Amino acid sequence: MTPPRSVLLFESVSAALQAEKILKAVDIAHKIIPVPKHISSDCGVCIRVDEENLDRALQALQGRVVLQDTRQLP
Amino acid sequence: MSHTVDARGLACPQPVILAKKALERHEEVLVIVNDTAARENVKKLASSLGYAFTVEQQDEEARIAITKGETCALAEDIISTTGPVVVAVSSNTMGTGDDTLGGVLMKSFLHTLLDTTPRPDVMIFFNAGVKLTVEGSEVLDDLGALAEAGTKILVCGTCLNFFEIKDRLAAGSVSNMYDIARSMLTAGRLVRI
Repeated sequence: MTPPRSVLLFESVSAALQAEKILKAVDIAHKIIPVPKHISSDCGVCIRVDEENLDRALQALQGRVVLQDTRQLP
Repeated sequence: MSHTVDARGLACPQPVILAKKALERHEEVLVIVNDTAARENVKKLASSLGYAFTVEQQDEEARIAITKGETCALAEDIISTTGPVVVAVSSNTMGTGDDTLGGVLMKSFLHTLLDTTPRPDVMIFFNAGVKLTVEGSEVLDDLGALAEAGTKILVCGTCLNFFEIKDRLAAGSVSNMYDIARSMLTAGRLVRI
């Protein structure tokens, strides 16, 4: 079974890339995936994180990248 | 009225060509051959076109009666996509223009393949594409899941060697140009990334 996961949505690809760079630097497990079909966002890619890492990820991105939304995956 | 194609004594692929031509103009075609290979090839033709047929064998001679009847409009599509779906990955980025963007697109593409129908039967990684298959690659989980779902992953050995990363291969198996070329040439559909 996969653990519960969320996706971080951004307004632009460059914001998603910047966020990826930050998460990499602080060593938070994450994955760039296409935005799931049932969710819409302005940019086509988003970052998926395990629910248990979500708070840490949000903290790391706070004030550095503009986040559009956070959504829990079904 | 059935149209008759007498293909006795004709060398391959003549009987098939004549049968195909006749089927373009007639609803019912009777093909007479006196060679096993020709008989099988004509049967294959009829099947691939989605037409019903009966075979009457008398000693050496076979009479194959083909009826077009109602065929499904998809028949042509099915013929052109018979054979494995092969995805050839020649780079670690998708498209040209910007490599950072290309890297993101490639990750996104490979992740999507798992949920896409048809899923690739074979994936071939060559040139900088092999970098996606070694330790440290961010798509190893996706490639692993594809392999588990039945996708065969071939990785160009020459390329691993060139980039000096052969000892770090973490997805698929080392392959050679013979297998790579063969996979491409026998593909029902070849998608090159």
